[in-house]
Amino acid sequence: METAMMKTWVRILTVAAATMALAACGGGGPADTPPASADAPPAAKNVPVISPEVSAAAEAIHNDARIRKVVDEWQTAADAQYRYDTHLELARIAGPSRYESRRAAAIQARMLGEWGFDAADIMTRADGTLPGAGLQKVDGLPVYNVCARIKGSYADTPDAKSYKGQYPKVLVEGHIDSVNPSMLPPADQPFEPVKLQSMADAVVSSPEELAALLEELHFDAKGRVIHDAVYERAHRRFDDADAAQKGNALRHYVPGYNDDMGNTMTVLQIARMMKKYDIQPVYDVWICGTAGEEGKGNLAGMKQLYGYNQDTGKGNNALNFVADFGVDGSPKGGTINFVGSYRFQIKYQAPAELLRTGGVGPSPVDAAAMAVAKIAEIKTPWDDDKDQPKTTYTVGTMACEPANAKGVTPSCTMLVDMRSPLLESLNAIRARIEPLFKAGMEQENARFQAAADSPQAVTLKLEWFGDRPPHTNTNPSDVAIQAAWQAAQVTGVDKQDELSSGSGSLNNNVPAAMGVPTIDLGMFTTAASGGVHTFYEWGVPGNAELESKRMSRVMVATLIAAGFHTSDGKVIAPAAEPIGARTTEDQY
Amino acid sequence: MARNETMGKKWVGAGLALAGMLAASLAFAQNTEVLSVAFQGPGGHSNGNYGRASSVHAAARAIANMAATMDPASYVVSDFGGGNSVNSIASDAHFKVRLKGNAAAGREAVEAAVRSGIEAENDFRGVKAGDLTGNVPATIRYTIKP
Repeated sequence: METAMMKTWVRILTVAAATMALAACGGGGPADTPPASADAPPAAKNVPVISPEVSAAAEAIHNDARIRKVVDEWQTAADAQYRYDTHLELARIAGPSRYESRRAAAIQARMLGEWGFDAADIMTRADGTLPGAGLQKVDGLPVYNVCARIKGSYADTPDAKSYKGQYPKVLVEGHIDSVNPSMLPPADQPFEPVKLQSMADAVVSSPEELAALLEELHFDAKGRVIHDAVYERAHRRFDDADAAQKGNALRHYVPGYNDDMGNTMTVLQIARMMKKYDIQPVYDVWICGTAGEEGKGNLAGMKQLYGYNQDTGKGNNALNFVADFGVDGSPKGGTINFVGSYRFQIKYQAPAELLRTGGVGPSPVDAAAMAVAKIAEIKTPWDDDKDQPKTTYTVGTMACEPANAKGVTPSCTMLVDMRSPLLESLNAIRARIEPLFKAGMEQENARFQAAADSPQAVTLKLEWFGDRPPHTNTNPSDVAIQAAWQAAQVTGVDKQDELSSGSGSLNNNVPAAMGVPTIDLGMFTTAASGGVHTFYEWGVPGNAELESKRMSRVMVATLIAAGFHTSDGKVIAPAAEPIGARTTEDQY
Repeated sequence: MARNETMGKKWVGAGLALAGMLAASLAFAQNTEVLSVAFQGPGGHSNGNYGRASSVHAAARAIANMAATMDPASYVVSDFGGGNSVNSIASDAHFKVRLKGNAAAGREAVEAAVRSGIEAENDFRGVKAGDLTGNVPATIRYTIKP
C-alpha cells in the first residue's frame, strides 16, 4: 500500500498513514550473483562463496596488459604527487551538504578539460538535474551529483536487456559534501585555507587557533597548488603516525580532508585512468561525486541516482544500476550492513492571538517539553534485551526563539533521531515516537482549553524529515561482495578472513535497501588523521603505493561486476545480471 | 503655616507611604526575577552511546513537571534549548523561568520540578551519582541561578 506522494519539503505532519505505508515496504531484492557451483562447500556464514567465473575474472582483469599500465602509472611518484595536488585543490572548495555545486563544477571541468571525457559522457547537469534519474529533487532542492560515464559495449550487443530502455550500469562513487563549513561562503571567497602544522605541536583546539596557524599551502588564480618551498615540505608522504612524527610531517587542516574528499579523489582517478588507457567494460561504468551524504544532506545524491522516494520508502532504480561500490572510508574488508535512521525536525508555534496580546496561554516551550518528556519514557526492545536489533533514539537538539516584546516565545524547534539496522524495528520506533509530537501539543492546549488549530492553540509543523533506509545483509555472496573480496585476493591488498559484521550509515543505505548489491570500501591513505566532522579535520599524506593498490582493487572489483574487454580481445562477461533490483515500478 | 497646609503635609506623607506600599506590592506581584536553569550530562553519539542520560530529556521532564505542579499564571518558561546535533545525545540544556508570584515559593517549586525531572531521567537510564561513563559523570546535574 502506498501513500500518495507528498510534494513539499515543509508540510503539516500526518501521523499514521505514512508510518503504515512505510511498514509495508520491504528492503531486499532478488539475488543477482552467478550461482555457486553445485559441489562447492557450504559457505561459512561470514565468508562469501566465490564463483568460478568471478575467480577467473579477477585473475584475468588483474593481469591484463592495460590494467597493468594503469597500475604502473598509479605507482609513479609523479602520479602520487598529482593525486596529492588534486585532493587538496578540490577539498579546499567549500561544499556543505546540498550546496556542492562548486565542487561538482570543478570536478566536471577536470573531466572535460583534462581527463578526456566528452560532454556526452558527463551524465549530470550543472543545474543539478540528471536525465533519466528516477527522481530529480530531494527535500525540494536540486541535487549536485557529478557523474562521468565509461561507456560499455553491452548496449550494442544483440539481445541486450534493458529496464525501460536503460541498459545496466555499475556505480562507483564518493561523496563531495563535507560537514564543515556548514554554510556556503560567498562566491568571491569559495575556498577554505589548507593550514599546515608541525606534528610536534598539539592539534588545534579552537577555530581561532586554527586561523592563527602561520603556514598554509598557496594556490594560484586557477586554483592549482603552487609548488613553492612550503609545498615541498608539505607533500611528503609517510607510512604511519610514528614515521610522520619522526619525519617532521605537516598536519594538513582542511574540512573534508578524510571525509570524504580523499576517497572521492581516488574514485575520480579510476575514471581518469579508465579513460586514459581505454579500459573497456561490458556494462557502462558510472563514476560519481555524490551529493548530500552527510547529516541534513539526507543521502540526496543517492536518492536521485536510485529514484528513491522518501515519502514511500521505495526506489525505482530507473537508471538500472546493477552493482554499487561506495568509497567512504570503510576499513579493509568493507561495510555491508547499513544502519537506518529517521530524523524529524519539528517546530511548535505559539498561538497567533497570544503572540499579539501576551498573557497566559499555551506555550510552544511547554508543548515541546511535554512531547519530549513522553518520548524520554520510551524503552526500545534493545534496552531490555541486547540480542534485539540495536534500536536507538534521542531528541538531539532543542532551540526556542527568544520571547517577544509581549513575553511570548514564538516557536521551539527540535531535531529527533531514531535508528535501527532493520526496517521493521525502525518503523516500530517511529510508530511509537511520531504520535508523541502531537500528543505534547495537545496536552499543552488542553491545559488552557484551547481548541486544536484555533488562534488560541499551539500548532506544530514538520519542517524536515530525514530518511536513511536500513539494510542488514542477507546474501554474503552477492556480486558486489564477491567482486570486492576476490579483487582483494588478486591485488593482495585489504584481504580479510571474514566479512565485517559492523554497520555504517552511508550512501550505500539507499541501494542496499532496494536490493542492489553494494559495499563500502576505502582507498585513500593517510599516515595519521583526526577531527572527522569537526572544524579541525586534518590528515598527513600516507603511503602512495598502498593507495594505488587500493585503487586497483576497486577498479578490478568494478570490472568483475561490469565485465571487461581484455587487451587480447576476449570478453569477460559481467558478474552482475543486467536487470537491477528495485522496490517499485512507479516513476516519479 | 495655615492649618490646611499642615493637614496637606500629613495627607501627602500618608499618601506617599501608601504609594510606597502599593509600589512594593506591585513589584511583588510583577516580580521580574528570572531563574536560569542549566543541565549538564555526558553527551555522546546518539547510536553508539545510546542508553546515556540526556540533558534535553531531563530539562523537558522538568518543564513538564512545572506545568503539572505550578499555577500557569505564576511563571513563564522561555529560552529552552540544548544539544549539539541531531545525531548526538544532548550533553547540555537550559531554560529560563520568569516568576510572577511569590519569588521564594516559585523558586522552590521550580527546583522541586527540576530535581524530580533529573531524578526521573537518571533513574530511567539506570545511573546514580558517582557513576561514570567514558570517564565523565553519567548522571544529569543542574544549576539554578541566581
